[in-house]
Amino acid sequence: MTEIDPSPRTGAAAVLEVADVPTAPAVAAGEAAGGGLLDRSWPWQLASFVLVLGAWEIAGRWPVSLAFPPFSQVMTAMAEMVAAGDFVRAYAVTLPPLVVGVGIVGVLGVVLGIAMGLSRGFEWIGLPLMVVLQTAPIAAIIPLLTYFYGVSATSKIASVILLSAPIVVLNSYRGIRNTNASLLDMCRSFLGTRLQQVTKIMLPHASGMIFAGLRLGISAGFIGVVLAELLISPTGIGDLISYNRSIARYDKMFAAILSILALATVTLSLLQRLENRLFRPDHAVS
Amino acid sequence: MLTLRRLALCAAGLAATSLVAWTEPAAAQRVIRVGQADTLTGQNLPELIAMANTEKRLGVKFNVMALKSDDVVFQAVINNEIDIGIGDAYKGIDTLKAPVRHFFLLRRVAYFPVVNSEFYKTWKDLNGADMAVHARGSATEAMALQMEKANGIKFGQISFVPGSEVRIIAMRRGTMKATLLDLPNTRKLTAEDPKKFIVLPVETQSASDEIFYATTKFIGENKELVQTLSEELLKSLRAVNADPKAPARLRTELGLLKDLPKPLADDITPYFEMAVPGGLFPTDGGGAAAAKADFDFLIAAGRFKGQNSDYKVEDFWDLAPLNAALAKVGKN
Repeated sequence: MTEIDPSPRTGAAAVLEVADVPTAPAVAAGEAAGGGLLDRSWPWQLASFVLVLGAWEIAGRWPVSLAFPPFSQVMTAMAEMVAAGDFVRAYAVTLPPLVVGVGIVGVLGVVLGIAMGLSRGFEWIGLPLMVVLQTAPIAAIIPLLTYFYGVSATSKIASVILLSAPIVVLNSYRGIRNTNASLLDMCRSFLGTRLQQVTKIMLPHASGMIFAGLRLGISAGFIGVVLAELLISPTGIGDLISYNRSIARYDKMFAAILSILALATVTLSLLQRLENRLFRPDHAVS
Repeated sequence: MLTLRRLALCAAGLAATSLVAWTEPAAAQRVIRVGQADTLTGQNLPELIAMANTEKRLGVKFNVMALKSDDVVFQAVINNEIDIGIGDAYKGIDTLKAPVRHFFLLRRVAYFPVVNSEFYKTWKDLNGADMAVHARGSATEAMALQMEKANGIKFGQISFVPGSEVRIIAMRRGTMKATLLDLPNTRKLTAEDPKKFIVLPVETQSASDEIFYATTKFIGENKELVQTLSEELLKSLRAVNADPKAPARLRTELGLLKDLPKPLADDITPYFEMAVPGGLFPTDGGGAAAAKADFDFLIAAGRFKGQNSDYKVEDFWDLAPLNAALAKVGKN
């Protein structure tokens, strides 16, 4: 059987993939170009941060509202909270359900998505459910989880799964379904078996979308765990937000919100870089 | 030509008259925006009756909005999105030095220690046991801490589960065995299974649960309104205390909460018959005594630091409208 090099791209570009596989120097050049782009863009990125945070500082000092502290006050509160170990304690409670939930979705969600892509039966059973879950107002459903799982960490895990599963499953499903028909025809013309079609064409082809689904699923998981902590049981970072709001320490409340934003942004940026390196070398930035 | 001009003048006059007639009632009736946490039920009738009577006396209109929680109500007050808040603003005033003052105590806290009798029957049994309360720094947590002191015990862990309606689900499922519940949920749970769910004895609670408050600017600019509302609140609460059936009767007479479903409407009188003997509704509007009791409660809850004497009543309450109302209505 002739080796078929899986292409990470779709459409017409995929047809040209044998001739189009970038050589090492080409990749290096691409990375250099990407790096150059980043180099050129960083002042603008910095300017956007300065603009937003500067506007925040001015609005806080105006003040727009007594409940809206300036950015500098929020950073001071954040330093106090870091020194007091508030964030370590909070994230020790918040992150385990997030990791477990994303882990479950990362395995079972991907398997279900692939099964839906390969089998009409699984598609008919799974697709409507996932589409409904994707469009449902999950924030309204999360408090109802207490009927099934009480107020324990299980509810938080369920919340993470509810938010992230549709994205991961549907991305995996679409990754398989969008496999280039020409490549499948080529595999068949070389007398490739169904197993070879799946392992050598479909899965490599879908891997980029599956990984992108996982990255977006983690993003949804962050939303799920914080929603659960705000709506079910105020623990972890949700407790820092709701408690500080209830005692009118808005600087600490914003600091807690900023911390989860920063953590989610850093996590997703790292995953984006990994995704670029693994599946889109032409976009990789060293 | 002359006829046409007359016709045009008549039409213009008619249009102007109609416009004035259309806008005049809206301009005359001033709307006072009131915010409170949770949706309106029969339990809110004492204040709704008072507002309805104030509307009649002053020709204003109260628009009561239900917001998610007390801290959202406070934010809306300081942002001038609502005029009068119902809840409490102690921590906001203390932390932000917000120009906000309380002016009338509507309801005292009423939470009851409900336990699963298969596991606990007395306070001593709860030594080392887990206790679920509303939230960190909440009135229920302060009560749990007071109960530890009063009964010489130490809870194993105080866990935080917001909402009495959520905690009774956990009690039913058996995942929670001891908690503090508000009055309606205490009634609901103990009525479902009186042998399994029992209420442990607790001393009368004197801290405030719901207080009327507003910005100093609003109180200063609306002295007559705030005083009249205080007078009507005094009358309404005294009527409720004298006859727990009064809220249901006045609801019908005044046409309040017309859309209330029948099961909730049927629950009005039983609620007040239980709440009135429990001393939920003060007849003096709170004032300095209530403020002092609240300082003690907030210190016990860890929300205020130091001692009672460190806090001044005038920093948290504007007593002038209440004193004027008491002078007019009588001190009971």
